[in-house]
Amino acid sequence: MLSRWGLVAPLICLGAPAIGGAQANQAATRNQTSIAIDERLADDAHLRVGDRVVLSAAPGVGVAGRGDTAVIAAITKQDADPSEVARDDYGIRLHLGDLQRLTGDPDRVHRFAIRTVGGPATDSVRARINDAAFGFHAYRSADVAVGTSRTFQVVSRFHRAIALITIVASGIFLLCILLLRVEERRRDIAALRLMGISRRSVVWSIVLEAALISLVGSALGTGLGWLGSVLINWHYRGVYRTPLAFALVTSHIVLVAVVLAIVLGVGAGYLASTRLVRTPPLTLFGR
Amino acid sequence: MTVTDTLPAPGPNARKPEPIVRVRDAYRDYPMGKETVHALRGVSLEIAPCDNVAIVGPSGCGKSTLLNLMGVVDRPSRGQVLIEGRDAGAMRDREATEFRLRHIGFVFQRFYLMAMLTARENVELPMAEAGVASAERAARARELLDYVGLGARERHRPGELSGGEQQRVAIARALANRPALLLADEPTGELDVRTGAEIIDLFRRLNRDGTAVVVVTHDAELAAAAWRTIHMRDGQIVSQPAR
Repeated sequence: MLSRWGLVAPLICLGAPAIGGAQANQAATRNQTSIAIDERLADDAHLRVGDRVVLSAAPGVGVAGRGDTAVIAAITKQDADPSEVARDDYGIRLHLGDLQRLTGDPDRVHRFAIRTVGGPATDSVRARINDAAFGFHAYRSADVAVGTSRTFQVVSRFHRAIALITIVASGIFLLCILLLRVEERRRDIAALRLMGISRRSVVWSIVLEAALISLVGSALGTGLGWLGSVLINWHYRGVYRTPLAFALVTSHIVLVAVVLAIVLGVGAGYLASTRLVRTPPLTLFGR
Repeated sequence: MTVTDTLPAPGPNARKPEPIVRVRDAYRDYPMGKETVHALRGVSLEIAPCDNVAIVGPSGCGKSTLLNLMGVVDRPSRGQVLIEGRDAGAMRDREATEFRLRHIGFVFQRFYLMAMLTARENVELPMAEAGVASAERAARARELLDYVGLGARERHRPGELSGGEQQRVAIARALANRPALLLADEPTGELDVRTGAEIIDLFRRLNRDGTAVVVVTHDAELAAAAWRTIHMRDGQIVSQPAR
């Protein structure tokens, strides 16, 4: 797919080759210009493989009868590219020669995309292109997304701010809940101390309980987060018609959530319990 | 017989044994702002092993304060409290906690059972703290629950037990580490008359089987069930029958 269509893919970015019209004709003949259109265009214009369309470089020209007639040879799904997600452009893929003829602008490519197999391969390809190809500069698609749209940076910072506020607020909330829960048991704790249960045992049992509550809470939170991400992705993939993942629950995020919850829980439990066990049992009993 | 490590029941004509509790001219003062409340004023008493004592008197007369001194929960401002020969006032907090765990059983008016634990686990709690092996504490807990008539309910949580049953579990818990002295503060205060009578019977049985029992109570029936009733007023003992 890359060898046949790969060079053509970036030409979508040159501008919008106008669609002059769609005709549900017979299958393309072998020598005709063949193109691939993206799924959104196929849906919106009710086009299918084998349909013939007239392409022109300028809007309206195709309607007047000029332009190239092309056969739709394939319908492609849009890539998960953050830099493309908010664009309403339709993507059409042509063979490079056909595109040059259509635009009358030979030997000129503004941008092309290469799909790589992973992070190290991406870096290696970037380095080689940047070293070898004078006049070109290779970017990662994520960098392009950030560079071309400040919105991503703003949203990213906004997310971090929300995350920070959420962590601080949930930490305070957790501490308050645990203080209340421990406070509710001040008489139970007093009774335990009178029975001869050591301070260490009381603190340990409360810290253990807090850790368990945190663990269960983080598991529930992760589950809710995952469900939320499924709903968010389902909604926005529908809105933007893209396979892009808008919300992710990665193992790293889960790990951070669980560790953070346990650290906060244990800390809050420790603070709450030590505060109580330092109080004499008779004072806890209100005497 | 293993339930309370039975000592010979004293009976009225038994030889006078060494006291397990000796309170000598104990005072307990509490600062209240600029004033000082004299909760106990020169109290002296002795509790023998296998004794069964009720401390009665109006509210605020110092009953609970005296019980706290005997339970090594509080220290006298003046005077001396000896429990099994050890000076309660000289014990550090950790030492006092350890002493309470192994030598004194507490029964409270409101039971204070751990809601998330079963009856058996509640009874096992002091034994776990004392480092008793798991199998041994399970066996001992079953034995104690049988003793208080709740053998069939060992897996029930406090919320599934009646008030009387909860108090019996609390008594079993208090006996877990085979204390020589059982202190009870209004143990029938939350119970109806019939259930209270069951608890009185249980205390009697416990005492017969060798545990010294001291109860602080307003319950006339519970006080009447004791061998000795100590009357208090204004921080002092006003009448104390001889042992």
